Amino acid sequence: MPDRFRSLFRADTGQGQRTRGNTVFWILSSTAAALVLMGWLLPWFVDAYSAGAGFSPQDALISPPTGVGTILIYVLAVTMVILVASPLVEPLARLRGTTFGRRADRIRLIAALVGFALTVVIWFLVSVIQEEPLFGSFGPGTYTDSAVWLTMYGYALAALVYGARPWVVGRQTLAFGIAVLPFGIFLPLMFHQAPDFLDWAAGSLAIYMLLALGLNVVVGFAGLLDLGYAAFFAIGAYACASFASPTHNIHWPLWILIFLGAAIASLFGAVLGAPTLRLRGDYLAIVTLGFGEIIPDLATNNVFNLTGGPNGISGIDQPKFWFLNFSTSPRWYYWSLLLVSLVVIVLLRNIERSRVGRAWVALREDEVAAASTGINTTTTKLLAFAIGASVSGLAGAFYGSIVSIVSPDDFSFSVSIAVLSIIVLGGIGNIAGVILGSFILTFVIFWVLPNMNEWSTTLSQTVHVPGLAGIDFSSYTYIIYGLALILMMLLRPGGLLPSRARQIELESGGESESLAAVQGVA
Amino acid sequence: MALLELAHVSKRFGGLLAVSDVSFNLDRGEILSMIGPNGAGKTTAFNCVTGLFPITSGSITLDGEPISGLPPHRITKLGIARTFQNIRLFAFMTAVDNVMVGAHWWMKERVWDGAFRTGRARREERSVEQRALELLDLLGLSRYAGSYAREMPYGLQRRLEIARALATQPRLLLLDEPAAGLNTQEKKELMQLIARLRDEGLTILLIEHDMRLVMEVSHRIVVLDHGEKIAEGSPADVRTNPRVIEAYLGTGASNEMQSA
Ligand SMILES: Nc1ncnc2c1ncn2[C@@H]1O[C@H](COP(=O)(O)OP(=O)(O)O)[C@@H](O)[C@H]1O
Ligand SMILES: [Mg+2]
Repeated sequence: MPDRFRSLFRADTGQGQRTRGNTVFWILSSTAAALVLMGWLLPWFVDAYSAGAGFSPQDALISPPTGVGTILIYVLAVTMVILVASPLVEPLARLRGTTFGRRADRIRLIAALVGFALTVVIWFLVSVIQEEPLFGSFGPGTYTDSAVWLTMYGYALAALVYGARPWVVGRQTLAFGIAVLPFGIFLPLMFHQAPDFLDWAAGSLAIYMLLALGLNVVVGFAGLLDLGYAAFFAIGAYACASFASPTHNIHWPLWILIFLGAAIASLFGAVLGAPTLRLRGDYLAIVTLGFGEIIPDLATNNVFNLTGGPNGISGIDQPKFWFLNFSTSPRWYYWSLLLVSLVVIVLLRNIERSRVGRAWVALREDEVAAASTGINTTTTKLLAFAIGASVSGLAGAFYGSIVSIVSPDDFSFSVSIAVLSIIVLGGIGNIAGVILGSFILTFVIFWVLPNMNEWSTTLSQTVHVPGLAGIDFSSYTYIIYGLALILMMLLRPGGLLPSRARQIELESGGESESLAAVQGVA
Repeated sequence: MALLELAHVSKRFGGLLAVSDVSFNLDRGEILSMIGPNGAGKTTAFNCVTGLFPITSGSITLDGEPISGLPPHRITKLGIARTFQNIRLFAFMTAVDNVMVGAHWWMKERVWDGAFRTGRARREERSVEQRALELLDLLGLSRYAGSYAREMPYGLQRRLEIARALATQPRLLLLDEPAAGLNTQEKKELMQLIARLRDEGLTILLIEHDMRLVMEVSHRIVVLDHGEKIAEGSPADVRTNPRVIEAYLGTGASNEMQSA
């Protein structure tokens, strides 16, 4: 083989690996830039209702700081410009064939550290000693500390990314985890001035992340395309609603119910999985789609008088742990969900690398060879369905408790599609990708879109374009799913963070034939 | 008692009788080759033995136990491992993982062991990985332990399939055209490997077109044509059997057989 071809051939992994490392790097550096920028601009947005002010550029213009304050503000502005420009400049430079060396990274690291320090200093001057003359006039208590958190987090992330670039590129998953985890933990503190954001984080982000992690086991690890995943979510939610509401007058605590929800859902996962064992690809997708429709229908029809019909089950208990009262603030839901998610992530990751995880991959790659190598395809598939469903049942238990009412509408096809889109967007089969995907997609669908209604109405009043008022952006949800799926398939079939081996059902189009088809029994 | 026994085995695909009333025995420690022109039904016979195809009639027994009708993974557990004519590796798994899949059925690790990474699971993973590496070493694949199966050169993929089959701890190894596409050097190595496996007591059923290899390693040869067994015997017998020569028709093939 000529060397030229050999290098092309090799490029497949060597290069792929490097690109993936660079993707993580790029995502983290852009996130850092976005956070710094958001921290600066946030006071602008929240100004409207909290009369908040910060050391944003506009403040410097509206009430010009004086003396040392001026210098601090402008130095801070320089660090911000450097960090915001970096992730944009770098790909452009690579397109033109030039790269930034170590020196550029060192400058950015210094910018990040200086920015971090200045943020703390200014926050201290303004907020703690209220050094007003330096920064114009602020009313006490009007200071937006969400902005401070965001800015600080952005600078810290930038320091990590530019200070330890080889490490970030080399140990992408670990780097991703270390960068994301503090954000997850501090989120309720950073955004305590925006309770709706916290509602979103607990009720949408965390729930959908759990769902996506579970579906990833079925679709990503085992390669079984499941379009009716919301069914297990429904089963978990209804099961727990029944055990924690006045409906049957049973009031079990949430921490028991999450196990119960997981157990019941996994049972149903295995039961509903059994008839589909011989199917693959399109056929499997269609049958699971059917299950996904049947379960909410059963709930609507009030089967065995358990589900409360179209109105569902309401008055679900709000949990209380000693002094923690979950009903007063979503933050306790959020933190418990975060903890549960972390446990789930660790367990799934371990399973992925264990005997069963290998069997799933083998099954996905070549069912016939897997069976001939001693893998029991039946139990291995059912295990994937059961484990995937159990995570979803667990999410269902939390969901019922958070919204305190479950009804059939909550578990429609759109839930299954949302979860599947998250996985495809983030990277099928890759846990880090799934986490990223759930953040991006739920942010757009459940936070940006609902808020767009209000923003565009406000905008229409300021710029006097009546057409902007009253647009229902939420109705564009499906367009976003569609765009996300199409764009990913065209541009990055493996997702934003592709799994190492991304030969998956969706991509290979059922190339691996089913054992049953080979045996002539399907 | 014979290790593997096929008695009047037939396999029908619609109107086509791909395997027709085939009987033969395979003794312990023996290397039996199955030859015959393309489409003779050799691979189909393999698929029947390994449970991929249900047989139409007849019986297949391993160690006196009937195995026809069992699912493939049960048959693997009973000690039959195989390779495929058209290589079927797990393309996006590393070589060492491919081999570790072979250890799947006899590993003791349960789901929860894996999930909580118990000491038992970790110990077993380590020892199985060690064994997989030894197998790769045996087959001269150590250098590729960490590469994806599909990036390996074709000849080595064939060997990796053998390593994966050996990891299932077989008593009987079925090789479906293992020399196809190999160069002379690789064929020689394959021959040495087969001899070595035989010396270690493994029974081998071999499908192969390369007559030199077949004549050299086999104790006995079974010849199939149009699904039927037309000859059985020692390499010397088969080589001179007029029906066999006729089945191969082309003078090239018969010359090849004569010269081998
Ligand atoms: N799954 C199948 N369905 C229908 N016909 C098949 C199938 N597998 C093999 N055959 C047919 O059976 C005959 C024997 O094929 P095969 O066993 O692959 O031959 P060999 O391995 O000896 O070259 C061929 O005519 C082939 O077309
Ligand atoms: Mg064949």
